[in-house]
Amino acid sequence: MTKPIALAIKWVLIAAAMVGILWIATRLAAAGNTMAVVIAGLVGMGILAVYATRRAVPLKYLVPGLLFMTLFQVWPVLYTANLSLTNYGDGHLYSKEDSVKDIIAQSVREVPNTPRYKMSIATAEGGDATTADLVLLLTKPDGTMYLGDKTGLKPLAATGVEKTSIGKITKAPGYTVLNARQANARSKDLSAIAVPTSDGGGVKPVGLSEAFEGRATVTFDAGADKLTDTSTQPPSVYAPKDARWVNVADTTQSFPQGWKENVGLANYSRILTDDTIRSGFLKIFIWNVVFAIVSVLSTFLLGMLIALLFNDPKLRGKGIYRSLLILPYALPGFVTALVWKGMFNQDYGIINQTLGLGIDWLGTDLGAKAAILITNLWLGFPYMFIVCTGALQSIPQDVREAATIDGANAFRTLRSIIMPLLLVAVGPLLLASFAFNFNNFGLIYLLTKGGPFNGQDTSIGSSDLLITYAYRLAFSGSAPNYGFAAAVSVVIFLLVALMSIPGFRRTKALEEVN
Amino acid sequence: MHKRALGAAAVTGVAALALSACGGSSPTTPSDTGGAGTSKATSSGVPETPSGTAAPVRDANVDLVIWTDADRSKAVQKYADQFASENGVSVKVQIATDTRTQFKDATKVGKGPDVIVGAHDWLGELVQNSTVAPVNLSSDVAAKFLPNAIAATKFNGQSYGVPYAVENIGLMYNKDLVPNPPKTMDELVATGEKLVKEGKAKQVLSQFVSKVGNAYFAYPYLSAFPDGGIFATKDNGDYDPNKLLVNSAGSVKGGDILADLGKKKVLSTNVDDTNQDALFDTKKAPFMISGPWSVAKAKEAGINYGIAPLPSLTGGGAMKPFLGVQMFYVSSKAKNAALAQEFVTNYIPRKDVQLALFEVGKRPPALKEAYDEVSASDPDVKAWYEAGVDGKPMPNIPAMNSVWGPFGQATADIIAGKAGAKERLDAAAKEIAANIAKG
Repeated sequence: MTKPIALAIKWVLIAAAMVGILWIATRLAAAGNTMAVVIAGLVGMGILAVYATRRAVPLKYLVPGLLFMTLFQVWPVLYTANLSLTNYGDGHLYSKEDSVKDIIAQSVREVPNTPRYKMSIATAEGGDATTADLVLLLTKPDGTMYLGDKTGLKPLAATGVEKTSIGKITKAPGYTVLNARQANARSKDLSAIAVPTSDGGGVKPVGLSEAFEGRATVTFDAGADKLTDTSTQPPSVYAPKDARWVNVADTTQSFPQGWKENVGLANYSRILTDDTIRSGFLKIFIWNVVFAIVSVLSTFLLGMLIALLFNDPKLRGKGIYRSLLILPYALPGFVTALVWKGMFNQDYGIINQTLGLGIDWLGTDLGAKAAILITNLWLGFPYMFIVCTGALQSIPQDVREAATIDGANAFRTLRSIIMPLLLVAVGPLLLASFAFNFNNFGLIYLLTKGGPFNGQDTSIGSSDLLITYAYRLAFSGSAPNYGFAAAVSVVIFLLVALMSIPGFRRTKALEEVN
Repeated sequence: MHKRALGAAAVTGVAALALSACGGSSPTTPSDTGGAGTSKATSSGVPETPSGTAAPVRDANVDLVIWTDADRSKAVQKYADQFASENGVSVKVQIATDTRTQFKDATKVGKGPDVIVGAHDWLGELVQNSTVAPVNLSSDVAAKFLPNAIAATKFNGQSYGVPYAVENIGLMYNKDLVPNPPKTMDELVATGEKLVKEGKAKQVLSQFVSKVGNAYFAYPYLSAFPDGGIFATKDNGDYDPNKLLVNSAGSVKGGDILADLGKKKVLSTNVDDTNQDALFDTKKAPFMISGPWSVAKAKEAGINYGIAPLPSLTGGGAMKPFLGVQMFYVSSKAKNAALAQEFVTNYIPRKDVQLALFEVGKRPPALKEAYDEVSASDPDVKAWYEAGVDGKPMPNIPAMNSVWGPFGQATADIIAGKAGAKERLDAAAKEIAANIAKG
């Protein structure tokens, strides 16, 4: 029988999970995301069904892992894949209706030769400051006063009116002047106010104490789905094209505000048909694989050799050496990469100066690649050193002794006993390291930015990885195109996944040594 | 994966640093906000600093939220407090580590601030994403500012903010080595080469070039020639993304000069942001082309520096730098639009506010009256202003994002002698046009 305390803990945890889900659901509901609320509810019911009953014992162990995997692995992948089917990016963030609203709002211009008014915001006396209709109490530069509401401007009698020295009305009979906080609370209503004037403009507030006469120069014809801009002569007409409002007469002109829409597989077909992508892809891909493999092997070999060295029981002061060796790993990689960049400088770098070389490390193909591999070796070997040290210490001493007794020399012991046992432990980490280096954006970006760029354009650099290349591809236009970037990410994800499958098969083979 | 920030900063190199105005300006400690923060409505007299580099979290209980970088926060806080007590509201100044990106992202999900402090070349991008609202300054207030500063706040003929500072690059020279600044590039090279020969210097000129190039620093070589530059302007003064000047006859002449200076080792792709200041500050280079952000370091190094306008080029005129303008924006999704507009239109054009912002940034103020007062007592400010007096605002159209990389690389290749100016600039123009067409 279950002990009462364990039972109590179980129910407290279940209750806590329910409260947590309820809290998340309310937040989601507040954000107006119905679908997510439903999913949160289903997850909650699932947790109850699994943990509150005696059934489904295996699930009791699997559910937390499944939940987190969905949340942090499956969901981002699906989200990215979904994003890759849209044109989401700068200038395409909101809906078409929003773009129309914004374009019209931004087109309001001051009507030439109209006065600036000093303004106070008020309601009719006795009105509720939070809901009553707003009126503007206006003073022209010449001192005449007006009352502005949605019907138009009306003269305001001077009797009983109090003004500040600059002409802002502070008191008017029949009206209650709102204070700054009250007026600010009505910001939404204020932005909608346009007191109509005889010449077709509207008096609109600027902040809390000034008003100007403005007119929107752009109008929207919902029936024809067209925008007309009257600020040019003749007026220009804009029609929707490629998720933007494009000038019908001159298609090079368009409003900067576009909208988000689904583009289907257009991003993927662009990857497949783009000339620079096709011509450069293989070259980049080969260097990317070479970079990842050499990085993993070089860091692993150096890390392992040092680990073997420091695993010698006769060595004194191991703690100090080990701590020192971990330092490159402990320093932020960004800083280290930048320091190395300085050291590789052709004229002023310490490497060329000490060795008396004149190598243009960062300006030539081979130099840049060598510089990247050297820097990555420096950055990466401490990690391998740590994991190898750990793995070595877990290899039982008696196995080695047995090998020695059987007459194996040190090299033979290493090759036939230590290495296989080490690889069992370290193998998956090598794979992870491969995947990490395959997408090592930061290193390349900080050291060479993908350069040097040979030939006449900057779309393909000789030290580019797929990820830095994709970054430049997606963000080299006028505006970042997240949809396209997502499509490239999905392609890279598939490539890494395909390459990792044989790797994981191989680690399984290693495990059978045990 | 959000590397936009990194991209923007890295691609434009020091330009971005300079424009976000955090390019090494000295860690100033302005006097305490004093009694201004005593208003009951104001929760605190100190700007809220972020933890780490995450975006600030908007406080829902205050009436006005302003995001700024750390350098300017104290000065903004002082006047925000004053504004708060005058209007009986509460104002919160929060420090954003990367205002441009954080503002865009936070606004998208409805958690953005009401007002931000930023550079004018963000404007096109902010308008494109519907994140900023027009700010309607009256014409007599606008007339009090430097015309270039007001021009920089406009996009598509609409005005979007109030400027407070202008910055540009100029020629810094070491007075101990060079008593009088050279007027022409030839003179500069002759003087510098003489010093190198005499062993008094190692490098003629320190200028940020780098292996991938720097468009911001290379631009003045092109702008020294008629019709040289990056974009032509439309009738309304806006830059026209469809009219590239990158390979115009004037630009190619500028490119030839870059090639020549590269051959003479005056310009080198081995000088970049990591060693540019060090070369000048260790007296290895008698000349440096840089901006106000380099002054603090030179002072610290004890260099007897002078600031002069950029020299003129043979066959052309004076090199004209890009102007960067710092300004206050109002969010289009501001929860407190009325107060935000009130603060920006009524407070920022004030002389005392502009002076306070000058004290923390040391960039020439955008308000004429404030500039006059400062320039009378601070020769550096006057010198920076004069170095930029012929400059044009950096393009604020989104298409400029397509220019930094290809144009920068083209200038680096020309300097390195990898390609001739004409063919390389032609290729760059082709690539830029293709990038712009991608949208």
